[in-house]
Amino acid sequence: MTDVIPGSAGPAAGRHAVICGAGAWLPPRVVTNDDLARYLDTSDEWITSMTGIRSRHVVNPGMATGDLAAEAGALALKSAGLTEVDAVVLATTTPDHLCPATAPDVAARLGLAGVAAWDVSAVCSGFVYGLASGAGLIASGNADRVLLIGAEAFSTIINPDDRSTAVIFADGAGAVVLRAGSAQEPGAIGPCVLGSDGTHRDLICIPAGGARHRSAGTAMGEADHYFQMRGGEVYRHAVEQITACSRRALERAGLTVADVDRFVPHQANIRIAASVTERLEIPKDRQLSNIDTVGNTAAASIPLLLAQAAAAGELRAGHRVLIAAFGGGLTWGAATFTWPQITALTAHPAAGLSGASR
Amino acid sequence: MYEQLKEMIERKFQVPLADIEPTATLEDLGLDSLDVVELALIIEKETGVRVTDDELVEAADLGSLANLVMSRIAPV
Repeated sequence: MTDVIPGSAGPAAGRHAVICGAGAWLPPRVVTNDDLARYLDTSDEWITSMTGIRSRHVVNPGMATGDLAAEAGALALKSAGLTEVDAVVLATTTPDHLCPATAPDVAARLGLAGVAAWDVSAVCSGFVYGLASGAGLIASGNADRVLLIGAEAFSTIINPDDRSTAVIFADGAGAVVLRAGSAQEPGAIGPCVLGSDGTHRDLICIPAGGARHRSAGTAMGEADHYFQMRGGEVYRHAVEQITACSRRALERAGLTVADVDRFVPHQANIRIAASVTERLEIPKDRQLSNIDTVGNTAAASIPLLLAQAAAAGELRAGHRVLIAAFGGGLTWGAATFTWPQITALTAHPAAGLSGASR
Repeated sequence: MYEQLKEMIERKFQVPLADIEPTATLEDLGLDSLDVVELALIIEKETGVRVTDDELVEAADLGSLANLVMSRIAPV
């Protein structure tokens, strides 16, 4: 595919966002449950039965979110056969700095200095929020191509002594490229259903470091600088909201549960995914999952799973996909699309580059 | 309500009916902390009564839990 001059697509090409490339990247270091059990009061059996996670990837010292985002972004661009886009949107909970956003730096490192670039902050719902954002940019004629990345170095904000979060959250990045096209094309993004409930903002948070605490001058303990989550309550809200917004997304797309070929829920916890799959009455073998080897990678979770599943042949062209997520805020979102005929590129330094789609 | 709870637990968690008694705790029945949250969701869906996971965990046994749920059913 040759590069398109920005802005030249014009109204005749259609203003609907269409997925035309996908990539994913994981940092090379793997941490198993047994590794964690050496210093945390936990066990491989407990972690596996409660979360479905057996191992996860973690950045080495010095590596941060922007690095993962640039790697995944580069793979997605290569997958799309593009060297230029008009915007870079980065969904993350773990930006390189509180200020500025990480996306401009990622864009510059990808040779895209000059394009629109911003971060989307919706914790685990980040990719779906970012998808709505990128799709909206194309629909409004403000971009013809968008690189949408979900990337996290979540290990950098986890309290190493908090076994309830330290065993769950992990690092990784996934990305898709969106281009302007027609709503009927494979890869066209269906209606995005988004929601929030800020009355429960303290269920998932890092209490210290922002304007609220600085303005109040409250003394903060060491634990307040780390990510905190009230797991039981979050589980409850997650199951209810993911189920509800999935139904709304299907309804808005004129689809029924029977039309869903692949259900791609945010990989928070295998029990939440199973609970939602059961409530939606989606056949279990249509639900994709990779949480056992990557853990909960927050905003990276969905694009990472999409790219890995496509590369492995579990997600194929023509499959109708339902994605759904829930995260801090609280936030939630769901969307549908048909997977296009593309070659997703994933890189795991140990396994080498793999790409396959049929 | 006790019979209803018993049926929910048997259906959702595949606990044999014969093992479920009013004096059994949720832990006795093999439910872990996430199962408890699931049960709270099912109770809310099927009876309209909202119970927190803490209340479920703190209930002395299944009989007490049934009483708690009964006491919260809004009069028709």
